[in-house]
Amino acid sequence: MKKSILLTALLGALLAGCASTELQESQPLNPPQPELQSMQADDNQGTAYTSPDLNLQELRGNPLLAKDKRGIYFDFNKYVVKQEYMEVIQAHAKYLNETPAANMKIQGNTDYRGSHEYNLSLGQKRAVAVKEALNSFGVDDSQIETVSYGKEYANLDCVEQNSCGEDRRADIVYTVE
Amino acid sequence: MNKFLHIIFAGFLFFSSSVIHALEVIEILGGKASQIPIAVMPFKSFGAQKDIGKINSVIKGDLGRSGLFYPLDTRGVVASPNSDKEVNFSQWKSLEAQFLIIGRIDFIQKEQIKVSWSLIDIYKQQTVLSGEYVGKNNQIRAIGHKVSDKVYERLTGSKGVFHTKIAFVEKYNNQKFKLNIADYDGYNITTLLDSKMPIISPRWSPDGKKIAYVSFEKEKPVIYIQEIATGKRKLLANFKGNNSAPAWSPDGKRLAIVLTYSTNSQIYLINTDGSDVKRLVRSRSITTEPSWSPDGKEIYYTSNQGGGPQIYKFNLESSEVSRVTFEGKYNLYPSLSYDGKLLLYLTQDQGKFKVALQNLQSNQVLKLTKGPLDEAPVFAPNGHMVLFVYKNYGKTTKIGTVSINGLKIDPLPLGSRQVQEPAWGPIKN
Amino acid sequence: MKFLKLENNDELQANLFSFAIHLALFLVMIFSVGWQTKTPYYGEVELWDSVPVQKKINKTQATPKKKIKQKQNTKVQKSAEAKAKAKAQKEADIKLKKKKAAEKRAAEKKAKKLKKQKAIKELKKKVLKQEKIDKLKKEMLEKEKVERLQQQIIEQQKIEKMQAELRESELKQQKKPALEGENEVKGGVNTGELNKYKLLIQQKIQQNVNQQLCGLDYITLEFRISLMPTGELLGQPKMTKSSNINSCDDAVERAIIQSQPLPLPKDSGLFSKLKNLELKFHPNGVE
Repeated sequence: MKKSILLTALLGALLAGCASTELQESQPLNPPQPELQSMQADDNQGTAYTSPDLNLQELRGNPLLAKDKRGIYFDFNKYVVKQEYMEVIQAHAKYLNETPAANMKIQGNTDYRGSHEYNLSLGQKRAVAVKEALNSFGVDDSQIETVSYGKEYANLDCVEQNSCGEDRRADIVYTVE
Repeated sequence: MNKFLHIIFAGFLFFSSSVIHALEVIEILGGKASQIPIAVMPFKSFGAQKDIGKINSVIKGDLGRSGLFYPLDTRGVVASPNSDKEVNFSQWKSLEAQFLIIGRIDFIQKEQIKVSWSLIDIYKQQTVLSGEYVGKNNQIRAIGHKVSDKVYERLTGSKGVFHTKIAFVEKYNNQKFKLNIADYDGYNITTLLDSKMPIISPRWSPDGKKIAYVSFEKEKPVIYIQEIATGKRKLLANFKGNNSAPAWSPDGKRLAIVLTYSTNSQIYLINTDGSDVKRLVRSRSITTEPSWSPDGKEIYYTSNQGGGPQIYKFNLESSEVSRVTFEGKYNLYPSLSYDGKLLLYLTQDQGKFKVALQNLQSNQVLKLTKGPLDEAPVFAPNGHMVLFVYKNYGKTTKIGTVSINGLKIDPLPLGSRQVQEPAWGPIKN
Repeated sequence: MKFLKLENNDELQANLFSFAIHLALFLVMIFSVGWQTKTPYYGEVELWDSVPVQKKINKTQATPKKKIKQKQNTKVQKSAEAKAKAKAQKEADIKLKKKKAAEKRAAEKKAKKLKKQKAIKELKKKVLKQEKIDKLKKEMLEKEKVERLQQQIIEQQKIEKMQAELRESELKQQKKPALEGENEVKGGVNTGELNKYKLLIQQKIQQNVNQQLCGLDYITLEFRISLMPTGELLGQPKMTKSSNINSCDDAVERAIIQSQPLPLPKDSGLFSKLKNLELKFHPNGVE
């Protein structure tokens, strides 16, 4: 009888002891990862194709097509082309219609406020708005590519410098000029 | 006979006292969100290099950032217990500590260490968790993060994220860009891509082995998928126009992306090998920033069909579109918590850009930050913290974490780096 | 020697046997005592109209075979029958007694019922009387001039308003914990004071419940605690209902322990009511 009592008491003590502490864990960590290869981006551009069919004299001579007039500016969160830019756009349309080999890229931009992706889309809308203005003058889409840089080139201090309007613009660029 | 009477009497008494009296009931509703005060003592190092005992600062940093713990300042504490038997519980109670972590680091062989630790409950006066890790000297931070994870899981019931990685874009030398990955707390930075043109929207694959991102290196935005371990990458999308906003499906087999070859930004689905491109939403407005629900049935996105940007969701089965955000005129950058209950996004409130949370069940909105120029918020994989961008003095943008109970905001120690576009990697099992 | 050994064995056996009987009797006593502590449930007594009579067998076809069987076992059957009859008689007697007692109680019940019904009738009469009086009053009012009528209506409204306000303030007083101990005393304990301390305890513990560790759903947990007059816990809090979230169970238990010492009254009568408490937690509130 005494022996059995002792045994059960011991068992009870053992079980009680097991309840509280967690099991220990001993494991080796994974060895440190091998050095990651840093990729270099491909920045090479294709060679430019020059051809007399591009009528570069006109492009370089006409004041309406001058490089300082290649920016169309927009209001905050808007992508409507203002009337004041229509003269310049019409001149570009004339050039494109007369020069079927010419290709134009319209780059849309925004100021830095908001997210990168939404601004990428907004910049795109601005580029498309200019394209549609060109379409209205008879230019075909095959000569126009629209891209957006969103806020990637925006000035982070534009609020302090009161110059945010300068970032809200679409730029006209020719593949060859 | 006497014995017999005794037994009867005892039995009688027993039964008379076992009649249960009705207990007073007190109902307690609600509580108070607080940070658990926890003391993490420097680990004692035996034969290991100097300062390695500062693993406790890694643990304190982790637990503090989560917003659920308040690591106590133990610099003035003289007591140095080696086990729970040596702990003077009343002393720690007077310091208002509820838990204590102690540990030791033993030097095993050349550059090898063994870290042993215990989590002690001051109120229950016992060890509730302990563990042991073996590793190299230079893995001390990783070991610290593992301890934090274990402690976090034990005390909160949620998975710890202190072992996870983040990705972010760094702009340097005014016009150069790097895509980096690092520990979630900003340590151990490695560069994945170096470019002269912008990089945006990095996104981890659900298995954490690849990153999709948008690069402007071809003078227009295109999408790459790069394998982290090997550095190998492949071009996922280079259609006419813009290619951007990659979002992995929860099963990792497809991505939602934004293409403009139909002139406006529209959302498409594409397989990871670049095949089977399908248009999702037909709209004359901007539709961008796709983000999947955790069950893979819905895609949340930003659209300006209502004038300013607002968040909508598209049901993949029914093709139904419904609007999600109604408060404020400018809401964008949606993403969902791992359990699908919370929507994280960016909102413009009284001219200031702030990080916001919307409870998708109650539709209550909470502004998590104060702005004025906060951006790009992303969830930690356990939904307890948010990583976001904020603009500092001058032209620099910084990233920091904010706990979703709002109690703790902390920058990432990235020095003077100009950083943006963060992404939070998955939990590794 | 053998003789002695035998005796020892016998003693052992005797002791064991007596112990067994004692134990059996003790158990019988326990069960009978336990049975007796229950209040008698009259509805469960089976009432017999008369001494049990063997039911007629309808199946006439089977009887011839049975008769044959009966003839074969008559002797055994007869003695068994006699015993059974005796038993049945005894049982019948007991049951008769019970039945009589039950009938008595039923009769008493009936009498009580009748009394109640009488009282209700009287109340109804009173109400009817009251209604008649009201009617008369109305008729009188109708007979009077318009100005007086209006005045009386206004006055009546004022009275009703005051009565309503009185009723409201009475209800409010009942809800508020009595700080002066003027409220009713139930069973020797002042319920106002009791509620005051319950509220203090509730508030102190609630401040320490870190509900962030309890998820977002409407869960509940329950604990039972025992207290010392100092406000400290006697032993550990006992969880009687888990939230099924470990971190929540831990957090609430921690909150209870952290709240020591709990505010308790010095009066021993009140303390005895609060020394064992059932705590029900709803960390995320209720729907």
